[in-house]
Amino acid sequence: MIEYRIDRRSGIATYLQIVQQTKQALRLGLLEPGDRLPPAREVVEATAVNPNTVLKAYRELEREGLVEARRGLGTFVRKALGTTVGDSPLRAELVAWVERARREGLERDDVAALFAAALDEHFQDRKEEQR
Amino acid sequence: MTARTLHSAPSAPSAASAPSAASPASPDARPSARPRQIRWLLRLHRPALYAWAALVLVLAAGLLWLGGPLTDAAAQGWRQFSACGMAEACAYDQPAILRYRDFYLYATIAVLAVPFLVAAWAGTMLTGRELETGTAGLAWTQSVTPARWLAARLLVPAALVTAGTGLLAGLHHYVWSAGRGRIDTAKSWYDSSTFFANGPVPVALALTGLAVGALAGLLWRRSLPALITSVAATGGVFVALHWALPYLWPTVHRVSSLKLDTPAGVGLSAHSGVVTSSGEQLPQPWCGSSVSPQCRAVYEKLDAVGYFRDYHPFSHHWPLQLTATAVVLALGALLTLAAFRVLRARTGAVRGMKTAA
Amino acid sequence: MTTTAIEASALGKRFARRGNWALRDCSFRLPAGRVCALVGVNGAGKSTLLALAAGLIAPTEGGITVLGGHPADARPDLGYVAQDKPMYPQLTVAETLRMGADLNPGRWDRDTAERIVSGGALDRDARIRSLSGGQRTRVALALALAKRPRLLLLDEPMADLDPLARRELMGLLMATVAEQGTTILMSSHVIAELEDSCDHLLVIGDGRVRLAGDMEELLAAHRLLDGPAQDGTSGAGPELGQDTVVVSHTTTGRQCTALVRDAGAAPPDGWRAAEPSLEEVIVAYLRNPEVPGLALDTVFAAPKEATA
Repeated sequence: MIEYRIDRRSGIATYLQIVQQTKQALRLGLLEPGDRLPPAREVVEATAVNPNTVLKAYRELEREGLVEARRGLGTFVRKALGTTVGDSPLRAELVAWVERARREGLERDDVAALFAAALDEHFQDRKEEQR
Repeated sequence: MTARTLHSAPSAPSAASAPSAASPASPDARPSARPRQIRWLLRLHRPALYAWAALVLVLAAGLLWLGGPLTDAAAQGWRQFSACGMAEACAYDQPAILRYRDFYLYATIAVLAVPFLVAAWAGTMLTGRELETGTAGLAWTQSVTPARWLAARLLVPAALVTAGTGLLAGLHHYVWSAGRGRIDTAKSWYDSSTFFANGPVPVALALTGLAVGALAGLLWRRSLPALITSVAATGGVFVALHWALPYLWPTVHRVSSLKLDTPAGVGLSAHSGVVTSSGEQLPQPWCGSSVSPQCRAVYEKLDAVGYFRDYHPFSHHWPLQLTATAVVLALGALLTLAAFRVLRARTGAVRGMKTAA
Repeated sequence: MTTTAIEASALGKRFARRGNWALRDCSFRLPAGRVCALVGVNGAGKSTLLALAAGLIAPTEGGITVLGGHPADARPDLGYVAQDKPMYPQLTVAETLRMGADLNPGRWDRDTAERIVSGGALDRDARIRSLSGGQRTRVALALALAKRPRLLLLDEPMADLDPLARRELMGLLMATVAEQGTTILMSSHVIAELEDSCDHLLVIGDGRVRLAGDMEELLAAHRLLDGPAQDGTSGAGPELGQDTVVVSHTTTGRQCTALVRDAGAAPPDGWRAAEPSLEEVIVAYLRNPEVPGLALDTVFAAPKEATA
């Protein structure tokens, strides 16, 4: 089961944080098809965010075809996101790259900035979506 | 749509939500039972309840003691004193007589103080403090309407005050009757403090004190000013009643000879003076018997032919008690009505509690 | 069509003792199922508005309907927690809850009351007078929530709580909303505290409505413009269309920042537009009382506010 952590100072809309964390969990294989997302009631009790925000996030995930709401049962994962990257060769390569960056004296923030820049360069649409 | 979406949304399946989700939609599912206020009213005012019970018991015991052994001892003292006649030395139980007089005074004061105590308590603890601290608002948002809140706060104390004060006033009357005709210094029925402590009048005064206090508390919404106002207003009721008492029942008109020192007629006096030959009533010149030449001259100058007195003899005791009670109770009822009006104006509650459709 | 939880029209309240208006010409609509933040500086009239909605005081002018009727008739469906959490100091916690059950026959939810109270380290036999501020809040919230209200009116509910309890109780409130569709109107002067939990906003300044409406819609109606300061003008802000209202603007050197309310037209040349934060919008409206207020989703809209 996934637990959402809402960062109030991130500047990212709360519903988007839920969407992103769900996708992250799908990518990492923490959530698999058939898994149930936590009921909105549980999410709001744990995070103190407005229930409509959670529902909005779930609706967004449903719109993207990642989850489906089954009446009276809950919201379930329909499909994994892209390839499951949890233990793919890509991950191993990235880990190796991070280790190298660290050896060469890069700070955590430097690595993050490099990574974000590379992402921005190759995933223009994503940037739009975040606005 | 917001509320509906929530019910049909992914949250719905959670086990806890299923039974409760239906409840807000059907608040009328069960018959709207009345809130049980009274037991909490008694619980909240338990110290006052105990104090009241203790006060009534102690005073009742004291009054019984006063009407029984103390009265008997004083009456015996007076019998001894009368038997002495003009004898030079007289052995009589003077302490018993003095003790009776003192304790009768204390007992009367105690009964007279009850309305003040009730008013002070009602003004502070019953309403003033609840509005001051906001607990009244707590009750009003816990399904108790302001009108029912006030009604319970008036009815329960009213019942207890009636019972307690009724017992004390009855015992005071018993004490007074026990001394009547047996003790020379016993108070007359029309002695103001005795009259106000006998019979139903003190009960009516105490109930009006309750209404005065409740209203003062609602008006001030603070304990201290409510306390002062209640006590002062209760004092005002006493003074007004004292002033109005002779006029609450038709008086007996009696004309008597100027040879007497004062106009004849024993009882509660409304007016007295002198009548002229033409029947005109003039104020009392306060001279004395016309046997004395100076006074005769005074009366002749006024053309007075006799004294007159409008008064209430002993036979008016009960009519006066009952009318005074009725008048005071009517005042109390008006104050109670005013309290409800004040509360209604403040809370804007135009109707009673009605379960939402 | 959404049902309405609270509707106020030209609502005003003047206290005889203080003589001035605590609330004036207040018009707004709160749809049912919303969690509404009532924001304003101290003394702005938040408590007065909540007491009016709870039917504890009567309006001097105008009107307010609660759950479709007179506030007095809504009492069984209302939960109200006053700012200083009044309760009978001589009762114990257990007695207070039993009293709640007795005063709300047929609707008291014992489990809810127990759940809220047991969240804190509370001795059931402790008297109310001996409780800390946070513990009092817990008991007061238990009383208000266990009667399962359709509308909850909370006056600074979280002020006495530590961050942990604040999070827990706010979560509990949100769970109640999710389960029962409860409408909540809660006041606070800490905006950040409410931003995630509320989806509706009511800002009061000086007894009048400054902002009212859905939070996202309110945010969407405003833009933060950044551009060069004009020479000579004493900071009149950017040259903008007729429909645009400049809520606030500050000039720092050659840089001018303005919060504007407009239909979303393209910013003037040389200006950049950004989405303002909730706090920026609220503060701008409270600091500039001469700017007409904005009440979305209300028949009595802003113009009235402007002329008053």
